[in-house]
Amino acid sequence: MPAMQDIEWLDPLIEPRRSRELERFAKQRVGFVPPEIGCFAACPWIGRASIELAVARRVHIDHDLADLVALVVSQESSCRFCYATARLLLRILGMPEARIRTLERDLETAQLDARTRLALDFARRLSRSNPLPSHADKRPLLEAGYGEAAVKELAFVASENVFHNRVATLAAMPPQRGERLGRSWLLGLARPLMARRIRALRKKGQTEWLGDDLKTGPYTYLIVALDGLPGARILRGILDQAWASPQLSRRAKALIFAVIARGLGCPQSECEAFRLLEGEGLDNDEADEILAHLGARGLDPIEARILRYARETIWYQPALVQRQGRALREHLSPAQFFEVVGIASLANMLCRLAIVLDPP
Amino acid sequence: MNLSWPILGALVALVVGLAIALWRGRREASRLRRALEAKSADLEHLQTSFSRFAPEEVVERIIAGGISTHAERKEVTALFADLVGFTALSESVEPLVLVRILNGYFERMSRAIADHRGHVSTFIGDGILALFGALQPNPWQGDDAVHAALAMRRELAAYNGELEQEGLPVLSIGVGLHRGVGVAGLVGSRELMQFAFVGRIVNLAARVQDLTRRYEVDILLTSAVQEQLDPRFELRELPATPVPGVAEPVAIFAAEGFQG
Repeated sequence: MPAMQDIEWLDPLIEPRRSRELERFAKQRVGFVPPEIGCFAACPWIGRASIELAVARRVHIDHDLADLVALVVSQESSCRFCYATARLLLRILGMPEARIRTLERDLETAQLDARTRLALDFARRLSRSNPLPSHADKRPLLEAGYGEAAVKELAFVASENVFHNRVATLAAMPPQRGERLGRSWLLGLARPLMARRIRALRKKGQTEWLGDDLKTGPYTYLIVALDGLPGARILRGILDQAWASPQLSRRAKALIFAVIARGLGCPQSECEAFRLLEGEGLDNDEADEILAHLGARGLDPIEARILRYARETIWYQPALVQRQGRALREHLSPAQFFEVVGIASLANMLCRLAIVLDPP
Repeated sequence: MNLSWPILGALVALVVGLAIALWRGRREASRLRRALEAKSADLEHLQTSFSRFAPEEVVERIIAGGISTHAERKEVTALFADLVGFTALSESVEPLVLVRILNGYFERMSRAIADHRGHVSTFIGDGILALFGALQPNPWQGDDAVHAALAMRRELAAYNGELEQEGLPVLSIGVGLHRGVGVAGLVGSRELMQFAFVGRIVNLAARVQDLTRRYEVDILLTSAVQEQLDPRFELRELPATPVPGVAEPVAIFAAEGFQG
């Protein structure tokens, strides 16, 4: 695992600007306006998605475990921004610095109980997805007493962190503020108040069943598989907003889903992307030809650039993918570029969620 | 009164002793924590470095459980590159100059390979064995490997320009590519182990590379690569050619460029 301080990180690729709508949304959901909210103004659905996922209620696993998953996944994804945020959150909630360091160093020696260690190991494998975990990877968790629904929720938490990590890394969101604040003496003063505010937000969730009106649209098979978790409704909303957003064509979005599904070896997600492409007038043979070489003579040059970039979001080194993002940005508007980032991040999340499906 | 002074003295001595023991204990704990953090940082650096040579899972398995001979079947594309006329070159320049030329060559070729999602498996004398799809699953490995070979051609042309300016001999390479299934894992002895890919495909890539001299081309690939290649690559079919160790003549193609 890389030492986070060694990770090269470029200047932000998104120019922050004020969005009153997003600020209102954040205030309503979390009670304050996060300093980075301006980064999302170019493509507000990504900002709303990030906030909704961050405050999602948990039913089967507790928030303490979810916080550890955030730390482990951000470390695994080499995301300096999310790592600094996850660390800061743990510090605010009262975890001593020495304990965090132990966790970062090695989960094996971190004096975690066996169930927690298993859960974190599962989250790490899921975020890495080299290759995608299979149903066999769930067995140790089930044997350790986690129920099926808890495993699904754990997979959801790990996958949502993959989304956060991708958005922050691909957009090169500045990690310095979080890193600085984590070391600041001010944190010690403000910590109890902040901790109380965060704990107040974290009420235990309840099983929520979706109405039939929500069982339609892109990736419904995943939404149905997640039914019962509050995350299912949130994901439905995110997918609908992403699909409806006007910055990129639906065809370009479905192609991004398809490229990432193929790169990660997720047949369900690839199949769904093909179905979406068919709806946009691209038959399976044409889609397959594009996917086979990430370019076909019928492919728009901008789409070809977007697809080559989408592929790089699967296995990446932060600075390298940020340089590639900078090159792509030259050919797109800021909103289009950020939507590519958002869709690619969502696609990476969706493939990892395939673990929640019933075994074939 | 007479009795309480010794008791008080003993208590004070006990408290002072405990305080000293506590202080020493904390100092020792702090020293050990610093040492552990330093070792941990070293280990992290080692792990990061090692991840460039073997898949993360392999690295973690080694760290968790020591060396294991666990291996798995993988489809990879092998690229074998060799310098043409290296023996003559090594006899015509000073050894130190030769090493400098070679290092510059390896540096540029390795970069071209890494830029296209390949990893250098090993340097064999002046030869380079690179693999695509060995560390991470890669459905575009064939395209990546041929793009890497074309990038190596461009890098070498640029490097030769630099060598010419210094009055040094220029280099030329032969590159052979083949795709297939083999076994990836840790191979070696107790003294020296490396993550390697074992299979006929590596030998065949090397044999095909030998044929570049015969056909006077720099990049040759087999039909196993060609069949899954982007049609925008410009290829020239050459006669199927017998190679040692393979029963049937091998269908080969010269890579000329890419219409991108």
